[in-house]
Amino acid sequence: MHPFDPRAALLAKHAQHVVLIHFPIALYLTAVAFDAVSGRGRRPALAAAAYWNLAVAAVSTLPVVATGLLAWQLQLAGQRLKGVLLQHLVLGLAASALVWTVFWIHRRARRTPERPLPVYRWPLELAAAALVALTGHLGGFLSGVNLPQ
Amino acid sequence: MNGKTALRALALSLVLALGAGAGSLLLGAGAAAGAEVKIDNFSFTPAKLEIAAGTTVTWVNRDDIPHTVVSNDHVLFKSKALDTDEKFSFSFTKAGKYPYFCSLHPKMTGEVIVR
Repeated sequence: MHPFDPRAALLAKHAQHVVLIHFPIALYLTAVAFDAVSGRGRRPALAAAAYWNLAVAAVSTLPVVATGLLAWQLQLAGQRLKGVLLQHLVLGLAASALVWTVFWIHRRARRTPERPLPVYRWPLELAAAALVALTGHLGGFLSGVNLPQ
Repeated sequence: MNGKTALRALALSLVLALGAGAGSLLLGAGAAAGAEVKIDNFSFTPAKLEIAAGTTVTWVNRDDIPHTVVSNDHVLFKSKALDTDEKFSFSFTKAGKYPYFCSLHPKMTGEVIVR
């Protein structure tokens, strides 16, 4: 396979999906941690760090979702998914949607300083963190981290 | 039952038993030859399988996650993603070596040797 064949970057052996996924996972979890220690805005530097980590996390979900969907189409010819593959797809899309929702809540609060960050963001942030972890766990199984050496 | 009748019954039983045995042997010989490769714990077992030409090989996924069975040339045979307990079969008609792998986990490899 030619190194500049798009499939070389999407299929197993050199799949970018499993590389890129580390960015939203790390950025999102870091953002939640910064948000937790920002003390309801009493530490604006940490609140800003949370916001920007969240922004980049949300944006970085786009190439992750795109490469995952393309790998599905190219590797498995878009066959109807079931089992762990289907769970991974559904959870991944739900996690991405939640990350964007949390980002939107933060963005709205940042644009309207008179409106503080709502408390209801916490269950959403924690649910997204749980979904991100679960999706990553399944993705790890699918990518073969348990492969015997 | 006198001795003569008993002897006839015994002879008939023997003939029937022999006939049944021969019949099952003939049926067995006439059935399509098959071999099975088990997929489990990220490996193909046996990893190397020797068969006669005309044998149909069936791969069965006993692992908890999906796998595929794809010939190294990506052309000869290519399964869809096999979920747990799903099967894929291919008949090998020509002698030769046929290496294959799992396209989801390329380190998983196997080979079918057709004599």
